[in-house]
Amino acid sequence: MGEMRRIPGGVFRQGTAPWVLDWLEAADQPLPRLWFADETPQVTTVVAPFRIDRFPVTVGEYARFVRDTGYRTDAERRGFGLVYTEQGWAERAGVTWRAPGGPGTESRDFDDHPVVHVSWNDANEFAAWCGRRLPTEAEWEFAARGPDFRVWPWGDEWDVEAANTAELHAGPLTSLPAWQQWWRAECGRHGPVPRTSPVGSFSERGDSPFGCADMAGNVYEWTATVSRLYDDTVRCDPTVRMAMGRYRVIRGGSWMNFRYQVRCSERMHGDPQGWSSFAHGFRCAADA
Amino acid sequence: MVRIVVPAVWTPQGRTDFEGTAGPLDEVIRDFAARHPQFARRLLDADGTPLRYLNICLDDDMIPRHQRVGATVGPDTVVTIISPMAGG
Repeated sequence: MGEMRRIPGGVFRQGTAPWVLDWLEAADQPLPRLWFADETPQVTTVVAPFRIDRFPVTVGEYARFVRDTGYRTDAERRGFGLVYTEQGWAERAGVTWRAPGGPGTESRDFDDHPVVHVSWNDANEFAAWCGRRLPTEAEWEFAARGPDFRVWPWGDEWDVEAANTAELHAGPLTSLPAWQQWWRAECGRHGPVPRTSPVGSFSERGDSPFGCADMAGNVYEWTATVSRLYDDTVRCDPTVRMAMGRYRVIRGGSWMNFRYQVRCSERMHGDPQGWSSFAHGFRCAADA
Repeated sequence: MVRIVVPAVWTPQGRTDFEGTAGPLDEVIRDFAARHPQFARRLLDADGTPLRYLNICLDDDMIPRHQRVGATVGPDTVVTIISPMAGG
């Protein structure tokens, strides 16, 4: 399986500093301050040495697992998967990791792209097969930025050529309507096929201090960690609060996102009960 | 009074709380979408059926997808709609 990086243990301030929320609020982006509040306050976290995949798990690697075990993903068993169409999110028959946009979209061209349409269980099954595990949320963030705070894996200055985000495809995006206009045009031309890129396409320019690639954008990545607020008293979005204790943390943002959603300390939370989409993948970790 | 709670990113103003009606859960969702058509594409499919990939909590209980059809919203219930990917 894929190359791993050894990450030394360390102590760091996990989460987002208050100045980042001020910066986000003032930035030309459409999401409210409340939306990012689950990233705060920063908490001091100790991480033991560990190893983590340099790249997200690819379609080709997942195919080896399936060939070896006969495993069927949650999306394959239920017969449909989730894609973003011109009308929004929709469940489409036949959408799987093999055919990420639905029947007819199977292609060997995806072999070196991150696998998508994998649920939290699907990711764990793969990890167990190759003797690995999912990273914890803290491990993921530490691998993405190291002990010192930085906004993106490469630093604090945005670099559109360093990550696969919507802005790489569409140019600068500052509003949801602008994003929707871009995606409607893309869907009209190609259908709801993910805009993933071969893993490592942005190395070394977009790498983390530890040489991990694609930690900003490309695919959202599952972690092992049950979603919890860093501080129960923080005022955050009420639907995000309801996900606490029920969902698992997702990190890294994806090709669908703006620059602000692929930050190292950005948190998302995913339903682990079989849900997946055409933008969700994972990478593995292991004890040192 | 039934309260319906949606993600802050569903409105430009970040509003999360709305008034709803009691009754069968699917009807409550359809009624909410009818009174707030800006949410219809987030709540209903092209046939007007509530989208099943959304998670729904009635007060503190998440209602499993296969139990939605039989679920009922009481008169003082908080209905929270959670996207399968929350936050971000």
